[in-house]
Amino acid sequence: MALHEFSLTIQPGEVFGLLGPNGSGKTTFLRTLCGYLAPSNGVIRVHGHDVVRESMAARQQIGYAPESAPLYRHMRVGEFLRFAARLRGVAEERVDAAVDRVARMVAIADRLNTPIPALSRGYRQRVGIAQALVHEPRVVVLDEPTNGLDPRQIIETRELIRGLAQHQTVLLSSHILSEVHKVADRVAVLLNGHLKGVRSMAETPDLESWFLSLA
Amino acid sequence: MQIRTSAFRTLFGKEVHALLGSPVGYSIAAVFLLVLGYTFSLTLFNTKVANLQYIFHQMYVLSILLLPALTMRAFAEERRNETLELLLTSPVAEISIVMAKFLATYLLVLGIYCGAIFYALVLWLYGEPDVGPMMTGYLALACLAATLVSVGILISCYTENQVMAAAFSVGIFLMLWFIDSVTVVLPGWLQGFALNFSLIGHFKPIATGSVFASDIGYFVSITLLSLWLATRRLQERE
Repeated sequence: MALHEFSLTIQPGEVFGLLGPNGSGKTTFLRTLCGYLAPSNGVIRVHGHDVVRESMAARQQIGYAPESAPLYRHMRVGEFLRFAARLRGVAEERVDAAVDRVARMVAIADRLNTPIPALSRGYRQRVGIAQALVHEPRVVVLDEPTNGLDPRQIIETRELIRGLAQHQTVLLSSHILSEVHKVADRVAVLLNGHLKGVRSMAETPDLESWFLSLA
Repeated sequence: MQIRTSAFRTLFGKEVHALLGSPVGYSIAAVFLLVLGYTFSLTLFNTKVANLQYIFHQMYVLSILLLPALTMRAFAEERRNETLELLLTSPVAEISIVMAKFLATYLLVLGIYCGAIFYALVLWLYGEPDVGPMMTGYLALACLAATLVSVGILISCYTENQVMAAAFSVGIFLMLWFIDSVTVVLPGWLQGFALNFSLIGHFKPIATGSVFASDIGYFVSITLLSLWLATRRLQERE
């Protein structure tokens, strides 16, 4: 999905929701922000770093959990998280502590020795989120973070996101209105690659009506 | 582009683990050494000559046919499992990703070739082989492996389908092998150009004991060019 030019500023410490139906351009936007795709036009800055010109510095600030958890099937959970930590530049002496911290955060501490192929979909999703947090990034980008989770896990993920917002900026995408409504401070609506509107949750008690008015 | 050696070590370790943890590497090593052993025994009993030339040529053919099965997974698998997203959104230089894959696969191939040193030892025990061509034969194989692995990795960058990556790799290797046969139908100015691209044309002199800088340069150039193109492909972010 091609994105059409728009301007958007996300404030530090904010939980920002990106709302739109499937195929609206949410994943394309997140992938471009994280440096996986190159923008054909325009500039994206993460904490002042241009994601194209200062790609490494920008990527250092970001923890990205794609919709489908990017896991290596030949690894165990703990091994994979240590790999992710080292890849993101966590100092060797801090790697084990960083893995223990994120394992507790996403409630997978008892699964660190489990081979990745043996994990259920819900646990895979959690490991996918854990790898995005292991280097304590300033910006956490979550693409459909509650996809495939059971109701209890969805509630836990919501709490996790609210907890992250105390120290980090969180950008999450979803096509489920109630999910965004419950966790986001502000929300943007993307439709067919166009940014249709941005609002704070405080001034949008009826997200569904607002969304339908834009669609 | 900043290159972190720790990130390279991490990626290299991951690649080695993936290669040694998969049955593909062991299967290829087994087939490779089994076929070689068969050919070596037949040749030795038939000719009664302490010479590894046939073996080097056999290894050349087997490398062309089998190495794509090792390189096909390099990036095709990362794309299919969507783990390439993890690598390319991490603060890691693209060249580190490419070099880690290249070195891990190259070392595995050299390891498989080391199994063939056994045949040289047999010749040493029961005959008086000419050591020079034997040494340069292994040098030729090391050069060939670097080229095949780097080209295979480059092709793997362009698809998420491993079978397609392997098929295109074998196709390109075979075309490079037989390119000197095509020269008869080419115009004069293209003949020299095509001849210079011949894989066997550069392999044979080294394997038979004549080491020329031009032949070594051919393998080094194609290897470096392929690794550079693979890095560029990742940098394009498409």
